[in-house]
Amino acid sequence: MSNQVTLLSAVLLFPGGLFALLFGLALKGADRRVAARLQGRVGPPLMQPLFDLVKLGFKRTMVPSTTASETVFLGAPLVGVVSMLIAAALVPISGVYSPDPMLGNLLVLLYLLMVPGIVLMVAGSASGSPYGAIGFSREMALMLAYEGPLVLVVAAVALRTGWSEGHVISFSLTEIVRHQQVHGAFLFDPVMWPAVAAFVFFYPANLGIVPFDIPEAETEVLEGPLLEYSGPALGLFKIMSALKAVVVLGLGIALFMPLAPSGVLGLAVWLVEMLVLMLVGVTVVRVSVGRMRIDQAFAFFLKWPLLFAAASLAVVVVV
Amino acid sequence: MTDVTHTTTAETYTIPVGPLHVALEEPMYFKIDVRGETIANVDINAGHVHRGIEYLTTKRTIYQNVILTERICSLCSNSHPETFAMAAEQIAGLEVPERALYLRVIAGEIKRIASNLFNIAILAHLVGYETLFMHVMEVREVAQDIKESVFGNRMDLGAVCIGGVRYDLDDETTAYLSGALDKLVPEIDEIIATYRTNGSILGRTRGIGILKREDALACGVVGPVARASGIDYDVRMVAPYAAYDRLPMVVHTLTDGDVWSRAMIRLAEARTAIELIRACLRDLPGGPTHLHDRPDIPRGQAVAKCEAPRGELIYYLKTNDNPEPERVKWRVPTFMNWDALRYMLADQKIADIAIIVNSIDPCVSCTER
Repeated sequence: MSNQVTLLSAVLLFPGGLFALLFGLALKGADRRVAARLQGRVGPPLMQPLFDLVKLGFKRTMVPSTTASETVFLGAPLVGVVSMLIAAALVPISGVYSPDPMLGNLLVLLYLLMVPGIVLMVAGSASGSPYGAIGFSREMALMLAYEGPLVLVVAAVALRTGWSEGHVISFSLTEIVRHQQVHGAFLFDPVMWPAVAAFVFFYPANLGIVPFDIPEAETEVLEGPLLEYSGPALGLFKIMSALKAVVVLGLGIALFMPLAPSGVLGLAVWLVEMLVLMLVGVTVVRVSVGRMRIDQAFAFFLKWPLLFAAASLAVVVVV
Repeated sequence: MTDVTHTTTAETYTIPVGPLHVALEEPMYFKIDVRGETIANVDINAGHVHRGIEYLTTKRTIYQNVILTERICSLCSNSHPETFAMAAEQIAGLEVPERALYLRVIAGEIKRIASNLFNIAILAHLVGYETLFMHVMEVREVAQDIKESVFGNRMDLGAVCIGGVRYDLDDETTAYLSGALDKLVPEIDEIIATYRTNGSILGRTRGIGILKREDALACGVVGPVARASGIDYDVRMVAPYAAYDRLPMVVHTLTDGDVWSRAMIRLAEARTAIELIRACLRDLPGGPTHLHDRPDIPRGQAVAKCEAPRGELIYYLKTNDNPEPERVKWRVPTFMNWDALRYMLADQKIADIAIIVNSIDPCVSCTER
């Protein structure tokens, strides 16, 4: 019974749920504000994403008359949010929180990370809008491009941990974190550098920011899959995207840099690490470049990230 | 349109771009048949901002029409009254004072700098490069400051009147103007270098929306669109008006005819505009800035043309014995250029539609008036 309560609170309160949502919104706010400063603008208040969310909550959700299925149209964002709630509870915070093995492991997290992309595809095609259809095809192409390198990177980390710990491969995030706490972070392990390099490319693609915001490119396909969404349904997508930011950034920290003292101090260090990663890995990237075309992005991922990811796996296997 | 298939098959579907679309600054409707991500057919539909200004000009006196024509469009707002005034002066046989001719060049070229930089900024916005967009707009703000400080307005300068100009430069404004231009030069040079080398810009604009020279000639395109396709045509050079025949005019041409070439032509012309203004300030003769009486415009008809930021702008004016003109008709550069979009968009990707449309710098307000 107490186990179920712990699981539920991990999903709904901390580190998933409310905490992840508020932190994710704050991260997005920080991203917008710093990006504005870098571009010579003032930028919105830090909690603008939260204000937007509250406002959307009071609006009406319009269902387009062209929609293929109202259930799918309205259900898609819900599935996305639920998947990210569970995923947020799967991400360990070094010294503070380690996920219950009952909830799942790294493999489950990998699958859950694909859900938002799939949800966007379903939402785009259910809306009946041609822009949604274009968004669908772009999202699919982009996922095919970045999922390959991601799986290889995760495999490299899992193998490195598994071999050092005496078995072949380890998909337990708790074990990966514990291993690094004992043997040093993978970030400082030259063997793992190709994996880090490949993972860096995964951030902007998975979070849908420039140069890989192709499925939702505002000036090309008018937000694509999100075009027909309004009110609370659009709000759910915003929640999904805020949670995803926490999950993806948290995954990066867990895989490569999970070093922190325990307790409140550990949480503070983790929060700062997340913020720095957001600003360096996302904000600076998105203000420094323009958007790629989908064919360019696809070719790009088949070149560098795949190369780095394959190299990381090869290096880990050989060493 | 011979090189594009017209058949709509099961694999093609139609996407509407416009009439209201975030990527378009003004309402314009493109019905685009696409196959996958590739454009199969384009249908351009216009007329969403028709305001009946041509009709309205025949209800206003010729002098009132100088103010009206300035409000046809904001970005070419100096070229319209200037050309209209040139037509009226031709009918009345008015000799515009020498100083006024130079001052007209200054007003026109400042508008050109602001207009071209605006288009360049929008290009960066369309490729998702918001930082570059903000930077170019900040540089453009110097030109906006010049307009506000010298002419009193940020968009409609109100500089031109029939028989001269309505503003003058004294020592203070001249010093301010040359100081501001000195500030603009390094900034524009830097923007040119950025657009020449930045990977994000090059990757999205090189080889995109190509308009071949023969297609450009067939469509009769004008302005930077023509010059980017290797057509050496600039009204300021072939039929100099105002003081252009006494100024160091340079016509820039490129031969690739892609989006990038058109952008580079606009940047080069913004840079040349600064040199033209500097030459005007150096050679500015003394004397009056406008005629002291307001002569009646007699019966007659005239055609005048000028090089607006987007290309050749032609005005036809027919007057009778009334103070109101009998007919005013103008042909704007966008009217010539937007037909060429069919050639530029053929077989391109959906992602590039907005970038290609923007590359002709469409001014829908002028075209549909």
